[in-house]
Amino acid sequence: MKLGSPFRPRLLSALLISIFLGSAPATPAQERGELRIATSYKLMTLDPQYANLNENTSLLSHIYERLVYQDENLELKPGLATSWRPLSDTQWAFKLRDKVRFHDGSAFDADDVVYTIERIRDFLKPPSGGFRSYVSGIKSVSAPDPLTVLIETDGAVPNLPLFFSSLFVMNRPSEGVETTEDLNAGHPPNGTGPYRFESWSSGESLRLARNDDYWGGKPAWSKVTFRVIENPAARVAALSTGEVDVADAIPARDVASLKERGARVASVGAARVNFVQFDVARDTLPGVTDKSGEPIANPFKNPLVRRALTLATDRGILVDKILAGYGTAAAQVFPNGLPGTSAKLLPEAPNYDEAKMLLAKAGFPDGFNLVLAGPAGRYPGDAESLQAVAQSWARIGVNAQPAAAPFSVFNTKRAAGDYGVWYGGTSGEAVDIILHTLLASPDPERGTGALNFGKYRNEAFDAMLARAESIAVGPERNAALAQATELVMADQPIIPLYHFHHIVGYGSRIGSYVLHPRGWTTAMQTLPAME
Amino acid sequence: MGMISVALGRLGQAFLLLIAMSLIGFIGIHSVGNPVFNVVNIETATPEDIHAATIALGLDQPIWRQYLAFIGNVVSGNFGTSYIYHLPAFELVMSKLPATLELASIAMLIAAPLGTGLGLLAGRRSGTLFDRTLVKASVSALSIPSFWLAMMLILVGAILTGWLPSGGRGSTASFLGQEWSFLTANGLWHLVLPALALAIPNIALIARLSRSGTIEVENLDFTRFCRAKGLSARRILFRHTLPNISVPIVTIIGLQFGGMLAFAVVVETIFSWPGVGKLLIDSIQLLDRPVVMATLTVIAVAFVALNALVDLFYAVLDPRVRLSS
Repeated sequence: MKLGSPFRPRLLSALLISIFLGSAPATPAQERGELRIATSYKLMTLDPQYANLNENTSLLSHIYERLVYQDENLELKPGLATSWRPLSDTQWAFKLRDKVRFHDGSAFDADDVVYTIERIRDFLKPPSGGFRSYVSGIKSVSAPDPLTVLIETDGAVPNLPLFFSSLFVMNRPSEGVETTEDLNAGHPPNGTGPYRFESWSSGESLRLARNDDYWGGKPAWSKVTFRVIENPAARVAALSTGEVDVADAIPARDVASLKERGARVASVGAARVNFVQFDVARDTLPGVTDKSGEPIANPFKNPLVRRALTLATDRGILVDKILAGYGTAAAQVFPNGLPGTSAKLLPEAPNYDEAKMLLAKAGFPDGFNLVLAGPAGRYPGDAESLQAVAQSWARIGVNAQPAAAPFSVFNTKRAAGDYGVWYGGTSGEAVDIILHTLLASPDPERGTGALNFGKYRNEAFDAMLARAESIAVGPERNAALAQATELVMADQPIIPLYHFHHIVGYGSRIGSYVLHPRGWTTAMQTLPAME
Repeated sequence: MGMISVALGRLGQAFLLLIAMSLIGFIGIHSVGNPVFNVVNIETATPEDIHAATIALGLDQPIWRQYLAFIGNVVSGNFGTSYIYHLPAFELVMSKLPATLELASIAMLIAAPLGTGLGLLAGRRSGTLFDRTLVKASVSALSIPSFWLAMMLILVGAILTGWLPSGGRGSTASFLGQEWSFLTANGLWHLVLPALALAIPNIALIARLSRSGTIEVENLDFTRFCRAKGLSARRILFRHTLPNISVPIVTIIGLQFGGMLAFAVVVETIFSWPGVGKLLIDSIQLLDRPVVMATLTVIAVAFVALNALVDLFYAVLDPRVRLSS
């Protein structure tokens, strides 16, 4: 106890002083001009090229910019590049924006683009990932003058400008290449974006300040604070009490009560699809048995069975009841109307009689048993959808036993081949990217079919998709993609279920919030209310 | 001499405990799933991406080799790098510790005196209306699920009345090289609801313990002698009853404090309090093995240290413990 006495008064006074000092800015968040956002996205790292996940890219898009943007209709718009054109099948020229400065004051030029591409292609080591596929086709990149970038590709890559809508441009350091550790440790992130980096605490918050020298004009907010609140109820509570101005990923069931409390809500159909996928390759499947529990040959190889199950799926219930209206019934990979979608593909109403008939024709008059697997808590309505689909399949005699698992467990088991039919979800910048990974025949050499876990193969579709992918971005390419989609969907390799909606709630300090189908949450999407 | 052998014995036990804990934790998190699917974006990654990441994380090795590599790293003072955040795992845990420490401390500063006091009073007047109310209230406080209690506190304290913030840590001030909330008014304000959510079940637990202890001690001969000697009720209660019932109370305070440090998961999640519990549950969900292992180790060390402290306290509180050793 001897130690305590001389120490205590000092501790006490330190405490009192700091309470006094600390209480001066008692409500720092209320300062005018600060935007406070509650987000479900947890920024993992300050390296903009570490992982291609919305969690990172959404928040880092305040600091870093891209050569090309995708607008709300997924059309390409100039970013750091003002124009781009193909010089030949394998050559591209990008003209860069003049008088753009990085946050540290250095000028942005073509060499920074070269550095960015080289860093992703040659330097970054796994586990960072997801970006390399965008630059893997690039043979060489050069800067003939400070505002021109010349890119030579191995083959024709008509989608190259689209790929640049996902790559954040970094500033070439005076020497070497910055590692992820460098960027995370102190080294302030240095981009050209509308907001400067102030501070970051992993899993807690990201603070940004206005970049007054931004080329696109003065940003709306003097400060932006992101608070990571993963629990949806807590996000809703923070918005209800006015602690934040914007809260993203609002559960559909909370929309009504939020509106009652005076908050407003914006929503948009996500550029993504959730679906049921069949394993059509193996001869027997785990969990798929006849009614007495004996294993049977893989029924999903028969297109009639897939067609019957599609006809017996009630998408209306999923959209109206499970997603409370905040979803769009799906018949293809993107919501109708976005580039590359087919206007002819519309979700069908369930037809149980015809489904039963088809099933009988395929040799299963009494149906069969299966385990329908899926992740829980990953996508809006995921685990509930398993139940609903299982119930509607039961009406044609197919007894589906729903098996929901945490996303990481689900993935491990799916990769191990433990499932015969499952619920999944995917997103991408464009229709062709989803078709390429989800439905094209698996081919490691061409990089197709990475998500085609069902090992579906359709040569006619592969040829149509390859032809569409060789056409330059534009209406012709979109029409070819729509045709290819029509062909493949007729064979039912997957059952598209729904495109869920991104929902964002905002308070009275916000005039409007423009949602993007890719689901990012940014300060740039908010317009302050007139005061 | 005796003290040293006791201390060595304790250290040995602690060491064995840590080994056992690390084995169980390691095998447990390994069997949940493959972390690689959380590191790469499964919706866009190619099989090569996944393969390359698997090798980079050392996940292609057999589990015993991975475990040995982990132990080797720990011995050299390194828990590895978080798969998800790409920060050193141990530093990550330590950066979340102050938040949890202050939350748990404030919750216990509320719960321990309040619980003990209420229990003493109730035990002294057992059978009265006050006693019966306390017993009933404590049963319900203990049986309420903590997520519901937290939600109700948010509903009443934040949404309906608007008095208190619904979550987050508020502003912090730097002290001893760490950021603390309790040093600023705004931070203290943010502490109230989560601290209450943690404290309420503990008040109930401590009150029940101290009530039953009081009833027992009040019927012992020495209390009767005290009363016969003419000591005031208050003096008996605080000078004689309290020390006699304090050993189990200190034990439970130690255990509960450790529990709050480690497993305030629900409260931290609902109030988005950036503490160790939340880090642990996030990391388990994302299968971020280095962070899970670092957190478990820190928690295990904290429990061992707390238990040692509790034992020391016995000696301070109860002369019999001192004599027997």
